[in-house]
Amino acid sequence: MKKLITAGALALASSAAFTGQASAATICFAFQDLETEFWVAGHAAITTTLEEQGHTVIERNANEDANRQLEQVRDCIAQGVDGIIIIPQDGESAVTIVGEAQDNDVPIAVFNRPPSDLSRGIIVVADNETIAEQAVDYLVEKALEDADAGETLQPLILVGDLGDPNAVGRKNGFYNAIEKQADRFETPIEVATEWDAATALSNLEAAVTANPEIDLVFTSSDFLFPTIRSVFEPRGMWKTRDEEGHVVLGGLDGDATACQLIKDGHVDATGVQDLYYEAEAALDAILSAIDAGEYAPNVVIEDPGFALTADSITDSEMDMWGCVLLAEGFLDN
Amino acid sequence: MTDTPVAGKLPGTGATRPGLAATLSRRAQDLLLSDYFVLYLSLAYFIILIPFLPNLSNPANISNILSNMWPLLVVATGQTFVLTVGGIDLSQGSVIGLTSVIAGALLATAASGSVLANAPIWGIIISEEGGLLAGHTGAIWIGIAAMLATAALIGAINGISVAVLNMPPFMVTLVGLIVYGALAIWLTQSENIRPLPESFIQLGKGDIVSVYLGEQDEPRIPRRQIYSFVTYPMLIAVGIAIAASILLSRTVFGRYVYAIGANRRAAEISGVPVRRVIVAVFVISALCAAAGSILYSARLEGGRPTLGEGAFLLDVIGAVVIGGTSLFGGRGRILWTVFGVLFFVLLSNTLNLMNLSSFHIDMVKGGVILGAAMLNVLRERLIRERSR
Repeated sequence: MKKLITAGALALASSAAFTGQASAATICFAFQDLETEFWVAGHAAITTTLEEQGHTVIERNANEDANRQLEQVRDCIAQGVDGIIIIPQDGESAVTIVGEAQDNDVPIAVFNRPPSDLSRGIIVVADNETIAEQAVDYLVEKALEDADAGETLQPLILVGDLGDPNAVGRKNGFYNAIEKQADRFETPIEVATEWDAATALSNLEAAVTANPEIDLVFTSSDFLFPTIRSVFEPRGMWKTRDEEGHVVLGGLDGDATACQLIKDGHVDATGVQDLYYEAEAALDAILSAIDAGEYAPNVVIEDPGFALTADSITDSEMDMWGCVLLAEGFLDN
Repeated sequence: MTDTPVAGKLPGTGATRPGLAATLSRRAQDLLLSDYFVLYLSLAYFIILIPFLPNLSNPANISNILSNMWPLLVVATGQTFVLTVGGIDLSQGSVIGLTSVIAGALLATAASGSVLANAPIWGIIISEEGGLLAGHTGAIWIGIAAMLATAALIGAINGISVAVLNMPPFMVTLVGLIVYGALAIWLTQSENIRPLPESFIQLGKGDIVSVYLGEQDEPRIPRRQIYSFVTYPMLIAVGIAIAASILLSRTVFGRYVYAIGANRRAAEISGVPVRRVIVAVFVISALCAAAGSILYSARLEGGRPTLGEGAFLLDVIGAVVIGGTSLFGGRGRILWTVFGVLFFVLLSNTLNLMNLSSFHIDMVKGGVILGAAMLNVLRERLIRERSR
């Protein structure tokens, strides 16, 4: 039976169960690539925790090739691993790979990038829509504060790969927030990124050239802030909150760059995925399934996340994984 | 006084007898030139590594190696024709992506507007109810025919550009790689299309005969202990390889391919219909890519515009070159490609078992392909020397 575990309920269950459970297991960790800070930090959290608990980790990097990832997972199954954790290339290939593992009686957990069909596998996913909405609510508030009464503003969203349910949720969250003040905003400009910095760069340049009067920008992932900067800076649009001409700017992920940019004043808010909670939840669920001899556990574990804003960063800085990494000197490395 | 046998001299004749070193050298050359050289190499590699990688020889892993072999073999078979005729087909990857999209657009049993609404095919070929052929009798065969027809058209364009317009195959197919790849991505706006009908998926992962080794201790045998033995991809790949082998080695067309690859000008003077053969070869290559697309799309259960991108061409060309097909044209056999694909897949599998990173794996693969290309040059030289 499909179960939906909310963060609160899981936190109670997992905090006691996470440490020291499951005898030494062999876990295959198959990821699509480590191209952003989020994935690097997630990879480190998962592998370090497993190894510290005495488990063996077999790592497989598919280098953004869905077929290769399927073959790697099959290799892992052939090696007799006890469980699999994947960061899939996309939601569609995730469905196939989860099915492949479960059909071979190997429990599998999908970390952060959910399959397009949530009915099979341990699926750890951020509530992207709510997180994005929280962040954009703040951006809307700040943009309207700076605007003249009755003035309509031009929002822009950098959309992720819509084959990835995370991108769809983030886009929906953005529109939910904008539509609350529909009379104050023009139709948003959508810039396709395909989760690729080069694609984002060329499409954003075209959009900003065609529409230089942009008041609010939301990127579906924080890893695109440097791309936004490289488009805005030459046009004189890369300003801090205190400067005239500041474009209200926000994102989602909660990475170290976003943390630094909020501190610097260039970014106003970011939606934060609680990476450490997600990693812990994935490990707890897969190790519990292995211990229980459960081959096909099906559960969706939601990370409610939160928004870190220019106003809340002073109090909540260390709740965001990116700020923790920043404090550890991640960007200096 | 009797002649005392002296090393290098045959008693009573005065003729020189080959020394041990010369004999070994000759044997090594024979081995290098043998049709089965890469098979021997694969077996030796496999046996040597078993003590270090115990999982290598377990039945599940062997079944896995074979399942990874079939789609690659189908695509590599087409590439063998092109390399043998003295060309190269870099557009195979994009043909795979484009025909995968066609399969998805025509055969999908449902589709999501939230994902595909911006795609130009939305509302025309595919909608919430699925692809154009969803639910129709014989849809799969019509869909496959559409994939093959598209591939044949691309192959013909490549072939005509090379044979009639005398454009370099490298440039023509490189442009094809970019253009058809971009077309595939544009058609779906980079989105994947699923779900596909179960009967289509069976073509990529369906078992016909599975085996379980050992006594049955439990009422339910765990699925991971049941090994695929005869599968639909196996039948398709072996069927295509046998047909291609007959075409290349037992027909006049095959002899034309070798003749053109060895010396196009001489073949023209000899009356070989060079242009038609070259066009046909590129069409065969594209058709094989489309057949490979069927297997890859079916195993991934979706139409994917990015299928065949990345390092895929490295795998295809690498496997063919490792098999021994000459990069200079005029020499190539499907059997060699079968062995080349086997070695290549085995290499990938063992590198995975060694827990190397994908970057190291690609570096090793690249090194092996370079080594194979150097061996290729050595074989050409040996053949020339022996034919004098």
